[in-house]
Amino acid sequence: MVQRIHRRVPPLLAAALVAVVAAGCTRAASSADPADDTGKVTVACGATEEWCAAMTAGFTRSTGLKADFVRLSSGEALARLEAGKDDPEFDVWHGGPADGYVAASSRGLLEPYVSPNAATIPAAYKDVAGAWTGVYAGALGFCSNTRILAEKGVAAPKSWRDLLAPALRRNVAMAHPSTSGTAYAALWTQVQLDGGADPAFDYLAQLHSNILQYTKSGAAPGQMVARGEIAVGVVFSHDCVALQQEGIKDLTVTFPSEGTGYEVGGVALIKGAGNPVTAARYVDWALTPESQQIGPTVQAFQRPTNPAAAVSPYAFDDRAVKLIEYDVAAAGAQKSVLTKRFDQQIAQAPKS
Amino acid sequence: MLDVVEQAPARTPEAAQPPPRRREASVRIALVLCLVLVGLGSVVPIVAVLAKALSPEALPRYADFFTSAVDLGILRNTVVLGLLVGALGTAVGLLFAFVQTRLDVPFKRTLHVIAMIPIVSPPFAVATAAIVLYGRRGVISYGVFGVEYDIYGLDGLVLVLSLSLFPVAYLGLVAMMRALDPAMEEAAMIMGASRLRVLRTLILPLLAPGLVGPFLLLFVEAIADLANPLTLGGDYTVLASRAYLAVIGEYDLTGAAVYSLILLFPALGLYVSQRYWLGRKVRTTVTGKPSGSVHLISSWVRWPVYAVALFIAAVIVSLYGTVVVGAFTEILGVDNSFTLAHLREVVTGPGLSAVIDTAVLAGIATPIAGALGMLIAWLVVRHLRRGSGWLDFAGTLGVAVPGTVLGIGYVLAYRGDRYLGDIPVLPGLVGGGALAGGAAVVVLAYVTRSVPAGLRTGTAALSQLDPHLEEAATNLGASPLRTFRQVTLPLIRSALLTGLSYSFARSMTSVSTIVLLVTPETRIVTSQILGAANTGRYGVAFAYCTVLTVVVLAGFGLIRLLVGRDVPLHRIAESPERPRR
Repeated sequence: MVQRIHRRVPPLLAAALVAVVAAGCTRAASSADPADDTGKVTVACGATEEWCAAMTAGFTRSTGLKADFVRLSSGEALARLEAGKDDPEFDVWHGGPADGYVAASSRGLLEPYVSPNAATIPAAYKDVAGAWTGVYAGALGFCSNTRILAEKGVAAPKSWRDLLAPALRRNVAMAHPSTSGTAYAALWTQVQLDGGADPAFDYLAQLHSNILQYTKSGAAPGQMVARGEIAVGVVFSHDCVALQQEGIKDLTVTFPSEGTGYEVGGVALIKGAGNPVTAARYVDWALTPESQQIGPTVQAFQRPTNPAAAVSPYAFDDRAVKLIEYDVAAAGAQKSVLTKRFDQQIAQAPKS
Repeated sequence: MLDVVEQAPARTPEAAQPPPRRREASVRIALVLCLVLVGLGSVVPIVAVLAKALSPEALPRYADFFTSAVDLGILRNTVVLGLLVGALGTAVGLLFAFVQTRLDVPFKRTLHVIAMIPIVSPPFAVATAAIVLYGRRGVISYGVFGVEYDIYGLDGLVLVLSLSLFPVAYLGLVAMMRALDPAMEEAAMIMGASRLRVLRTLILPLLAPGLVGPFLLLFVEAIADLANPLTLGGDYTVLASRAYLAVIGEYDLTGAAVYSLILLFPALGLYVSQRYWLGRKVRTTVTGKPSGSVHLISSWVRWPVYAVALFIAAVIVSLYGTVVVGAFTEILGVDNSFTLAHLREVVTGPGLSAVIDTAVLAGIATPIAGALGMLIAWLVVRHLRRGSGWLDFAGTLGVAVPGTVLGIGYVLAYRGDRYLGDIPVLPGLVGGGALAGGAAVVVLAYVTRSVPAGLRTGTAALSQLDPHLEEAATNLGASPLRTFRQVTLPLIRSALLTGLSYSFARSMTSVSTIVLLVTPETRIVTSQILGAANTGRYGVAFAYCTVLTVVVLAGFGLIRLLVGRDVPLHRIAESPERPRR
């Protein structure tokens, strides 16, 4: 008997050790005290690696304060913020679509902050309560390969209806709305334009025959177009422009005449951040023209939200492109119903 | 539990004796070490995720899952993919191993090197190369044959995953075929058995643990793989990509946890059946007794077999060649002029520090993972009776769950310092202010993700070893640890080599777990690759992949130098004889 217990000691010991580690409590940080501010800000950055690096370097250059970043997509950032909400490792979240910020705000992860610089930002590009403020906007458009279009004998699409052309059979791609914010924006755009979910799904059902595949990531259709695998991709126009700038010459960007959806990239303070003062200064800076002009130098051609910022000729022209009324909160509220319906009604259907 | 040693009474009655009653101190220390590392590395984080997957808010999701045709389709897709890749990958591995050890053909050395290449599969690179070469507008499929082949989906995934995963099967099988006692083959041939009959009734049954081990590993890796389903999956959705996208696209951690829990079931089921099936037969062939010589096949039969292997090798070379060529081309397929700009950006830009950081962290993780895998295999096969299955399974967990889920588990479990009362028991491992700037947890994640490969090859190699060899050492007074070091280890050296090489390659190319763990102090090269690929900068991404591959190959060389080559266990007959009829 004694021997049997004896033999079980190592596993028990190890299990106990692991259990102690797992059961130990984390402590809520006693920070969030302005006095503890170290003068250095850590940014959860939702844009491209180059853009994040250029932004933090620009902040340091103009304020003399230090900034570090980790590049995270919206979902990753949200997961990490949520897991660490007792003792946040980040002070600011910068870049990435507003729907992520809305979700974070509803889970109590953001600290509302109305920057003095936010006054110049148009109301469509910011949260009323100051949970987040927009730093850039991107419009949905059609990214087409002119070589393939010529082969098929069609012109670059100028409207959502043009995508239904029989000649484009299996030559269009968009992402899957339940996995990509870009594609959900496209779906919501249909709901807005057609005045309801039913006509929107009628349109999507017709479009289905022309779709080669619903890609996982929002930018993937642009890359398929670039490789000439398909003729047209539904993407944010700046993704297509970035590909053009990389040297892919056959690409052309067009916008639907009926109107199109858009995304707003945000910036926000993290609740309980260790460096609240520096973080607020970072947000102030992110809204300045100086900061918003950095994008085009690192192949990010979104449109700045600050009207005083110089607009790159490659960003979409908000006078030429017709934007729909895009209510981020309303779109978010219906997302799970609409994407489930898309999954069952559209994605599984046989292609005629 | 089903222990090979325990269940082998038919052939070696003495070996059926239970292991020594009193466990040596060294075994006990090894056991505690394994349990703690496996506990911290996979059990705790996975339990943290499961706690979410089984929370009250998650429970209705299961009903949704099992009543939704879409979700059930995803589950079926996952299992089909796993089975196909497991079978095809193992078959390719067997073919290459057979060519290598039993055929009398030229250029075997080159073929071996080609078969090793896919161990380094930088995320997205091979999938993208496959699209460029064999896709709708593929250089070969469309350019040469004029076929608009839609590579996205199951076929493309099976192709790319089988080709990138088969080297583990191959390396394990080569080692095992070299270790097979040729005396039995000789005996069979002398009694007039044909080559085919020898293969069917002798070699294959003896190799079974070597076939089932890789099959299981390939199955699990295929269903947990993320980068390829994302790049090449098209409308073919599997659980791993679904779980990832629940986090990325829907901000739905609970949903991701539910998908991950369901993903564990096919892996678990296959695992249990493997242990049940394999646990009852004797496979020991390395007995230390004198044996015969290997007779290489020199009849015409070798040529068709060799041709198939060459064809597969050509496909591998074409895919990896595309990656290298892409690194030196402006934009592959669009502007094919030569450039060094991409490479310069990697070597002189911020990329270099990422490459160095990653290599250092992977270099730290590799020996730990290799040793841990072997140690667990040794404990499971030789020293444990009860609970060996659990330890083995816990060791395999690291690869059975998708990396994203493991990453989330780490964040949930190790964010912030842990206290018990007022006593700090574990410093925070994840994120800013964590231990070693977050580097410690990256190493832990690397170790956890790579242990399974060493464990599986180790288990397969050890179950081939006759326990008598070790018993002899023990009877002469050697401690278990000394026996392991001086008798067992040299005999399973090639399995160790495989385990270490694979660990290093895996760590260097791991993406999904690490993305959630990076901090400003730890830059990881794979996230740079993804960044470049996502913005369509393929040239830079290919350049990163090329540099990564060079680093990994250099690592292989170093590992080989340190571990040494295997001991030849038998000789090859001087003049290859034809099978006697």
